[in-house]
Amino acid sequence: MAARLAGLALVALLAMLVGLLVGGVPLPLATVLAALAHPHALGDAGTIVWAIRLPRVCVAATVGASLAISGALLQGMLRNPIVDPYLTGVSAGAAAAIAICVVLGVTLALLPAIGFAAGIATALVVAALARRGTGIDVNRLILAGISLSALFSAVIAIVLTRAQASGYASAILSWLAGSMAGRGWHELAFALPYALGGLLLALLAVPALNALRLGDTRAAAIGVDVGRAQWTILAAASLLTASAVSLSGMVGFVGLIVPHIARRVVGSDARRLIAASVLLGAALTVLADAAARTLFAPAELPVGVLLAFIGVPAFLYLYLRGGRQFA
Amino acid sequence: MIQARELRVRAGTRTLLEGVNFDVREREFVAVLGPNGAGKTTLLRAIAGTGHFEGGTLRVGGRPIESLRANERARTIAYMASDDAFAENMCVRDVVAMGRYSFHRWWQWHEEPRDREAVDAALRAVGMEPFADRAFPTLSTGERQRIWLALGLAQEAPLLLLDEPTSHLDIRVGHEILELLRHRVAAGKTVVCALHDLNEAAAYADRIMLLGCGRMLAFDPPELLLRSPLLEDAYGIPMEAVAAPSGILRVFPRVTNRRSRCSS
Repeated sequence: MAARLAGLALVALLAMLVGLLVGGVPLPLATVLAALAHPHALGDAGTIVWAIRLPRVCVAATVGASLAISGALLQGMLRNPIVDPYLTGVSAGAAAAIAICVVLGVTLALLPAIGFAAGIATALVVAALARRGTGIDVNRLILAGISLSALFSAVIAIVLTRAQASGYASAILSWLAGSMAGRGWHELAFALPYALGGLLLALLAVPALNALRLGDTRAAAIGVDVGRAQWTILAAASLLTASAVSLSGMVGFVGLIVPHIARRVVGSDARRLIAASVLLGAALTVLADAAARTLFAPAELPVGVLLAFIGVPAFLYLYLRGGRQFA
Repeated sequence: MIQARELRVRAGTRTLLEGVNFDVREREFVAVLGPNGAGKTTLLRAIAGTGHFEGGTLRVGGRPIESLRANERARTIAYMASDDAFAENMCVRDVVAMGRYSFHRWWQWHEEPRDREAVDAALRAVGMEPFADRAFPTLSTGERQRIWLALGLAQEAPLLLLDEPTSHLDIRVGHEILELLRHRVAAGKTVVCALHDLNEAAAYADRIMLLGCGRMLAFDPPELLLRSPLLEDAYGIPMEAVAAPSGILRVFPRVTNRRSRCSS
């Protein structure tokens, strides 16, 4: 298993290298490596690598890793393989708030922070609705998440019909489709601390997440404080998802598909599953983003759309081939 | 080991258990009997600390059950619930190793030598060592039951609570499980076990607790309880007790209108 994780780490590193190599200006590998080795050297290559491509690769890796861990956490806690990170309503809340702010003319620089705050606020409402006793009622969580997401989708639809007249619709749509265009160190510096906080909470929850595979009753019997574990997992998933959404908008499918593939590679033990999800989520999103900005250059595809086109058939193929053991 | 005083459990407006008083001694094998809905699982959950109770007191090992933290509870009580768990993609050894959860702090993600010994000993005790690397979902119902028991043994708790460990098992495997529990009692554990089969209870338990309609009707040694009219009251059918050639008392429902039932 250690060898498989090392293999995934290598895949992630190679994906990041590909992310640095491809773009509007072709840069050979030696130039990219030289620019990486000398961050303060002047020149076009240094600027392209350090000011444009590396931050973008880091943003894509953070988004992919965050969504993948979040998906793995929620799928594990709810013991439901079709759950994705957007179940908690985080993304819909963030998107609705961003859509409203775009129409109101709020400066673009504030949108990540607004998206993050609205996402966390939505997660808190969902958590309050799902609360039962000291823990979380799984069915209520799913229902509350789906209901609030539907409500916010309606809000977004209303705002979009208004925005078409005023010309703001494209800005809103780019958030809804998920894109890392124009994101850099500044946005990453805002979101990364929250993502790392989410990762820390996820690591705290790893032993309990493993035990929850036996079901809540048996987990409680072997000493898991099930309520506390559920809150920790939900907080971790919400922080990670809100960080990802604030960086890139709604990038779909990573949070659903990557934990499945990771489970296939390293098994369902949460200790390995989380590590594998980080590496695979980062690799897949970085590659998808690289493809999104080069396939139809100079035009850019929304990375969420590209992930859906590549990810869904690949996922279905793996799922159908894997049969029962995959689920 | 366990002390209950005026225990009361409610679910909404419905009373599930009321006025339950008993003491279970250390190294005792107690069978909990009663018809469906009598409150057996409710009582076990309350003792295990995974279910709530609204009134009375419940002490395990001298301490109120509600004062025990989750990991302290798991080191005192090994509760084997009756609901089946998926344990998907897990091998047998990993399932049993879950019993060591309460011995680890959150940052201790890996097995210590002490954990390995406890897991090996638990697998050995239930005769499932050769199955250690098998995938859990490939096991038969009886084998799974043994693994749940091994998981409980790996907790190294002095009190074992089991909810119908012999249901769905054939007669041989059922008796093997109860034999195993009897050995655990001889090795110093206390066992409280909900059962459906009156004769299994009579053959293996030191005392039988009889529940009916949310109340404790009796808590006596098998030879007393199986002759008691309370048994008929609890189940609502006439019973007859006969001594087997081995001397063990057996009890059966007295079928008075057998012919008419068959013809209908």
